[in-house]
Amino acid sequence: MSVKKILGWIILALTVLVALIPLVRGAVEIPIPQHHLIHAALIAGGLLSALLLATPSRDVGSGHYGWLLLAVFSPFAAMLLMWPSEYAWYERHASGHILEHLGILGLGFITGYAGQRYAAGVGWATGLSVVFMAVASAWGFGVAHAISPMVTTGTTAQSAATSAAQMLRSPDLALGGKLFAQNCAVCHGAHGVGGEGPSLIAEKSRKNFAQAQQWIMNPSPPMPKFYPAVLTRSDVRDVAAYIETL
Amino acid sequence: MSQTNIADTSAGKRVMWTYMLTGLGIFFLMVLVGIAMRAAQAGWIGIDPGTFYSLLSLHGIGMITAMAIAGLGILWYFVSRYTPLNQGVAFLAYGFFLAGVASVIISVIPGHYGALWTALYPLPFTGTYWPNWATGAWLIGNSLVMIGFMIWCAQILGALLARFGGVRGILAIDYVFKNREFTQSGKEPPPPEMFAAAITAIDGFIGGTAGLLVVVALIVHWIDPSVAIDPLWAKNLIYQFGHTFANLTMYMAVAGVYVGLPMCTKRAYHTSIPLAIAWWGTLTFVIIAYFHHLYMDFAQLQFVQYVGEISSYLAAIPVVVVTVFGGVMLVHRSGMKWSVGSMFLFAGMIGWVVGGLGAVLDATIPINIELHNTLWVPAHFHTYLLEGVLLFIMGWAFVNLEQRAGSASSLLTRWLIGTGMFGGGALFLLPFYIAGADGVPRRYATEPTPGPYYAGVATVGAAILLLGFLLAIIEAVRLARSKNTSVAA
Repeated sequence: MSVKKILGWIILALTVLVALIPLVRGAVEIPIPQHHLIHAALIAGGLLSALLLATPSRDVGSGHYGWLLLAVFSPFAAMLLMWPSEYAWYERHASGHILEHLGILGLGFITGYAGQRYAAGVGWATGLSVVFMAVASAWGFGVAHAISPMVTTGTTAQSAATSAAQMLRSPDLALGGKLFAQNCAVCHGAHGVGGEGPSLIAEKSRKNFAQAQQWIMNPSPPMPKFYPAVLTRSDVRDVAAYIETL
Repeated sequence: MSQTNIADTSAGKRVMWTYMLTGLGIFFLMVLVGIAMRAAQAGWIGIDPGTFYSLLSLHGIGMITAMAIAGLGILWYFVSRYTPLNQGVAFLAYGFFLAGVASVIISVIPGHYGALWTALYPLPFTGTYWPNWATGAWLIGNSLVMIGFMIWCAQILGALLARFGGVRGILAIDYVFKNREFTQSGKEPPPPEMFAAAITAIDGFIGGTAGLLVVVALIVHWIDPSVAIDPLWAKNLIYQFGHTFANLTMYMAVAGVYVGLPMCTKRAYHTSIPLAIAWWGTLTFVIIAYFHHLYMDFAQLQFVQYVGEISSYLAAIPVVVVTVFGGVMLVHRSGMKWSVGSMFLFAGMIGWVVGGLGAVLDATIPINIELHNTLWVPAHFHTYLLEGVLLFIMGWAFVNLEQRAGSASSLLTRWLIGTGMFGGGALFLLPFYIAGADGVPRRYATEPTPGPYYAGVATVGAAILLLGFLLAIIEAVRLARSKNTSVAA
């Protein structure tokens, strides 16, 4: 076995070890951008090992375009695995988290390996493409930055910008839970198990996120209307997001 | 690379004509949509604003995709002359293009999607007058086109790297930096059209990556609205893809000049050091020139605005100057007989210069302050596409047909086609420029005065251009049917 291949196997083994970290670390909540970057590192490890292990094809005229399809589709699949709203669930379920990590690592590997098997050099292009996607995700996929208040001079403009910024960020589950306890739990019970009002357990299967928000903003009697007097638009999103987790 | 190594294949021609005819077919439909929109802005026909924005969305993405499909077919054929390519991959990419176009049409016609090609977040999801599924169909259609494009880029990139000796070979790095050793060893740099193919494949792959990322993010948000997207991030990515893709259509089509003009003039278009360096400029800067679309975004980092301005110059000017100079020198005193093909190829260079100049002016920050999002913007890219890309594509097609038929079109036919394509084109384009300089905004169903007046003139111009185009198609069919087997294609 050549030095290159040995190095490829070592990098692959080390990357798999990194992917298994959730097994020993337990449930730790990591912000979405950092989570994306960890995934980018797994993809990069898988890619690098693939580029070292693959025997590049020097012939592009005779077919093998199954490899090409794999190389082009794997980045697409990797991005779908990096579904930001599922990260909270993965952090609570170590085995699911490991599978997700191995899937992402595997797709990084396949991207590079299949690309090289199709034609020498293509693995580098497809591989760098998927690494770029994963890294760039940290700045906007499941993440929204507050709008700069640089152009706001009056309080109205400032509050509009702040409100818009709140709407653009990911829902705050902790805040949603707190608001639920303050305003909803008296009828729906602690953690939504039901009481005077109906149980909200598995409400996600009955209403999607948009429908849940609509219901909170415009409920039918006897449910009281908390929006906009008690809950802001942003609060409604947080509460709806919390209910979706029940 | 020696020209004697060229191998014309029936597979190459099959792919080229399939792509080219599909592109021109979509182009024809999009012209009809465009004429309807300009007539509505002139107040001649009634189109409600919602339908107008749906048509505008369709027209924008349809035109760019049409030109790209045609250009990719031409490049595929050129590359296939130097290295064997699997036509199955080309038709697979083609299938993705068609599926993408179908999905986009479904989102617009029954779905009434109207957030334009940019789909700027959160626009396609909030306060829409179309159903949510139409946004999904639009995004899925876009992703299919991008996947098709990535498949094409990966195939061509692999072929070029294998054929020309890696990145150093295909970019002629040794030819530029070690010229004496390189030429003394009997080697030849890649022919000019291979630079166009390489730059399209490399920059296309980079643009496709950005496009696929943002489209996946938007699809995820469409399915799961709790996933937030950063609006500025999304805008950067969508313009990185969109601007690069649109710009590359020119670089795809210009390959037709490198191959077609030599066929007309019986002179070779050689790769030179300035040509190689000019293409390096395009390779490097076309992927970051898009920043000029975000000049008005106050949250954007300031230094990238300057990067956008400088990149806009360096991506376009060197390659335009070198290519056009080379093209003019090729024609000068060559004794070339003017035909529809050579006329289109030559006039396309003029359209490229005029449209490019309009773009460079708009990319200049002090001027952009006045012209940003006015009709000046569609003025320059319509010039670039109609009087540049389209003419290169049709020019290449005609050069082939004329050689195949062993005859050229009559003087009257050339005059009629020329009057339609250039006269109608000028009458269509000038109102865009004048209205833009006058401050008439773009992307509005109803334009303020004097917009409707200019829209009326433009509608007449576009109708004349369409007549010229149809006449050219009829002439192309005539040439195709009068095949002269004694003349090599």
